[in-house]
Amino acid sequence: MQNTPQQSPITLRINAGLKKRYNTEKRFKRMGISAIVIAMTFLVFLFGSIISNGYTAFQQTYIQLDVSFDQTFFTGENLAAANFPGLVKKTLYSMFPDVTSRNDKKLLTQLVSSNAAFRLMGMVTKDPKLIGTTQKIWVLADDDVDMLIKGHYDRNVAESNRRINDKQLAWIDALAANGKITKKFNTQFFTSGDSREPEQAGIWGATRGSIYTLFIALALSFPIGVAAAIYLEEFAPNNGWTDLIEININNLAAVPSIIFGLLGLAIFINFWGMPRSTPLVGGLVLTLVTLPTIIIAGRAALKSVPPSIREAALGIGASKIQMVTHHVLPLAMPGMLTGTIIGMARALGETAPLLMIGMIAFIVDIPGSVTDPATVLPVQIFLWADSPERAFTEKTSAAIIMLLAFLMLMNGLAVYFRNKFERKW
Amino acid sequence: MDLTADMTNQPFPTQLFGDDAIDTAEEKAKPSSRQTVGDPFVENPRMICRDVYVYYAEKCAINNVSIDVGRNEVLAMIGPSGCGKSTFLRCLNRMNDTVGTCRVEGDIRLDDMNIYDPSVDVVPLRASVGMVFQKPNPFPKSIFDNVAYGPKIHGLVSNKTELAEIVETSLTKAGLWNEVKDRLHEPGTGLSGGQQQRLCIARAIAVSPEVILMDEPCSALDPIATAKVEELIAELREQFSIVIVTHAMQQAARVSQRTAYFHLGDLIEVGPTDRIFTNPRHQLTEDYITGRFG
Amino acid sequence: MKMKALLLASALTATMISSAPAMAARDYISIVGSSTVYPFATVVAEQYGKSTSFKTPKIESTGSGGGFKLFCSGVGVEFPDITNASRAIKSSEVETCAKNGVKDIVEVKIGYDGIVIANAKQGEPLKLTRQEIYLALAKEVPDPKNPDKLIANPYINWSDINSSLPNTKIEVLGPPPTSGTRDAFVELVMDEGAKSFEFIKKMDKKEFARVAQTVREDGAYVEAGENDNLIVQKLQANPAALGIFGFSFLDQNSDVIQGSIVEEQAPTFENIADGKYSVSRPLFFYVKKAHVDVIPGIKEYLGEFSSEKAWGEEGYLADKGMIPMPEAERAQYAEAVKNLKTM
Repeated sequence: MQNTPQQSPITLRINAGLKKRYNTEKRFKRMGISAIVIAMTFLVFLFGSIISNGYTAFQQTYIQLDVSFDQTFFTGENLAAANFPGLVKKTLYSMFPDVTSRNDKKLLTQLVSSNAAFRLMGMVTKDPKLIGTTQKIWVLADDDVDMLIKGHYDRNVAESNRRINDKQLAWIDALAANGKITKKFNTQFFTSGDSREPEQAGIWGATRGSIYTLFIALALSFPIGVAAAIYLEEFAPNNGWTDLIEININNLAAVPSIIFGLLGLAIFINFWGMPRSTPLVGGLVLTLVTLPTIIIAGRAALKSVPPSIREAALGIGASKIQMVTHHVLPLAMPGMLTGTIIGMARALGETAPLLMIGMIAFIVDIPGSVTDPATVLPVQIFLWADSPERAFTEKTSAAIIMLLAFLMLMNGLAVYFRNKFERKW
Repeated sequence: MDLTADMTNQPFPTQLFGDDAIDTAEEKAKPSSRQTVGDPFVENPRMICRDVYVYYAEKCAINNVSIDVGRNEVLAMIGPSGCGKSTFLRCLNRMNDTVGTCRVEGDIRLDDMNIYDPSVDVVPLRASVGMVFQKPNPFPKSIFDNVAYGPKIHGLVSNKTELAEIVETSLTKAGLWNEVKDRLHEPGTGLSGGQQQRLCIARAIAVSPEVILMDEPCSALDPIATAKVEELIAELREQFSIVIVTHAMQQAARVSQRTAYFHLGDLIEVGPTDRIFTNPRHQLTEDYITGRFG
Repeated sequence: MKMKALLLASALTATMISSAPAMAARDYISIVGSSTVYPFATVVAEQYGKSTSFKTPKIESTGSGGGFKLFCSGVGVEFPDITNASRAIKSSEVETCAKNGVKDIVEVKIGYDGIVIANAKQGEPLKLTRQEIYLALAKEVPDPKNPDKLIANPYINWSDINSSLPNTKIEVLGPPPTSGTRDAFVELVMDEGAKSFEFIKKMDKKEFARVAQTVREDGAYVEAGENDNLIVQKLQANPAALGIFGFSFLDQNSDVIQGSIVEEQAPTFENIADGKYSVSRPLFFYVKKAHVDVIPGIKEYLGEFSSEKAWGEEGYLADKGMIPMPEAERAQYAEAVKNLKTM
């Protein structure tokens, strides 16, 4: 006491406990920071591994062929029926005249993707004047060549253990030395549908499927979800029934999505007779999946609108529905949009319920409407991850990158719309 | 008493003390007494409340209150927190309907119309009995839209020029026109607190109500803004009946002609404001205004 | 106001969609069934889609059992036309089909698939017998001291079973019970291994199935999910582990993994085709004859599948790892396809 006479006993007691209080704060801060660091590490690791695996898929190896569109190949009436695979083979043989044995010829033709013939067919049917000329044409290389060029195959293992044998290696090196092999941006990946040949496989079919499916899910779940949230929050009488409904909605949000798939199979396909494997049914099922999320988020958003706004509206003689649509809903809309986007993001990543309704399928043709068979991005990832060909590994990662990009785009849109609605008042 | 003779169907409280009776007696009503002291009735009233009880679930919040709201007068309701003055105020335009558990008994009439009659629609009722709240609560819209909202939803105008006129007159009456006429399309939430509250008053008077209810309209405002709102209330009295709930007794003294003192759900005393503050006749009223509790 | 327009638009879209004619004639072939046949059927479908004017068939990977269930649920555009299977149709499934009006079914065998037991190239190549695999993986095995009694599997290292095997821990990554590969593995390896013990062979059917087919649950057998690629990756990470999967995965990853020799035969293309490698199974698909003239292109699809350039020795299916049938068998099934010979 004597050395600090100016301090009262109360001040001293407060000071004694101060250090402990600050330490608690510091500890908590440290814990928070380490949690964030751990989360960021995982995120960086995830992105790093996906991108490092997948970025090579955005390039594809091409081989240049000197194709002479010989008149003798196009004798028939129908240009498309000409022997284009034969033309590709003939071109390859002429580029490597010293390849003679039947077996070697087969190995040689394996360097070029089966897509090459279809590409030539497309060129000729579009422009018949090509017949009789010789053209330098870049065609897709086979996926094994692609893997070799990208360095995914080790040249040094024993020949029997390689998918590219020594002869093929020599031809590839010869082509490379002549500048007839190059890597180009993989437009195919963004414009074509699924394929069992990795070099021809594309994401566009699945992307279109996802867009259609999400469009239907959004067009149904948003108005239904918002209407349900408004009714439950603003109009429903406060009794046992509404409590029961609320509990059920909360439960539904936690139900495994495959249950919704089973429901969709039973109702939409078996009972209503809608076509299997289509975005229409997929969208309906995902509507069921997202509805609880949207309703819960919608109710939370409505709850957060200050009661003073409701009183102001009612006090001036607005009817209940006017109060809701003129004042409460616009204020709750940003929150509802956030909930909807969370729901849509969940829907975008769903595969389980789609399994039951047949959207886990091999579909090459790009869907043109909601009643065409289609698949969606996560399903495409799943299918590629399960394919034996090695080249699908990088496609899988590339598809994941696309899915993430899609997600970011959606979230960006959400933020944009949210800000727009917020500024309006 | 004869002024209410036309309301023969009204069961009157039988044991009201007349002003004179107390004056001559020269004694205060005991604190335990729950009979209303003073004369709660006026000539030619705008609103009539008889034997009003309000319950929240089982709890009685307003216990047998009878009072009139006169024309062109400001009636102040004072009393300690939780005394029921706000609850009673919100009965006058049925804002209590929004509280699920709230039940109102008794008779409340606006110009002879029983506002709790099942056939009465609250929408036109609230148009004729406007309300201003404790916290300024302009809509998150432009100043113009705030004032225009009421006339718009009630269909009071047929074209934009009329609407603009109403907005201008309302804002002028609320003493806000000169301050905001250049920024009518800026958000109402961007105004200062006092301006916001006057905007809310403008919004209420834009639908030409008969009565304006004010629930502690100045409690969130600084003294200068308060003075402006009080000034405004005094002006508005010429056109409207105003019922104001307030915590500030000076405010009640400044703006009102009559004052009602509430205590724990009971209407203890009603009378001309200057009389209430100079010569309260109930012990509870005196204790309150002299600051012994509350 | 904008909100209202938005709500209105959504509602409008919703009604438009729900009132659209849900059922239309189907102009593409719908195929379901085995995930083992899926990689082959999809190649054929793609080839067919590109070289004809028909739409590319839609192929769902539902598993053999799931495929039959869908296939047998009726005749009509809403039901699949073809189901793939990694086993022959069961008589109970034929009955279900018949009950639902699916009477004329064409059975087409397309080739064989080998099931391989492989490890990473860094590991030691293994020579196993089916009995050894059974002893390594069954939950209950005959007591080595008292060979007529069953005990809980005591083997920890491979060398405990046979001293010539490496002294490494038994660790096998394999498919879960829902997989057709697991069914085939159990039937072709575990059953045969168990049969090598006389007293187990003599058990009644139910008891035998329990003893032979129950896989140990003490961590030596790891269910690695349906994704065979994942097993391949895990093998590379853990050279001591073995994996069980279809031959096509070995074929595609021959630079990093090696197949174990089973019963003196290496899992090579030739050995499986010759029938020397014992762990192989036939693959099928089944066609609903009633659909053939209703859904456009089924005949052409069957023609593509049964052509030499697809399922022949040098065909593109062989490139994808399917083991072709011998020439005589191919001719027999090609004939069946041509005449749509029903079962």
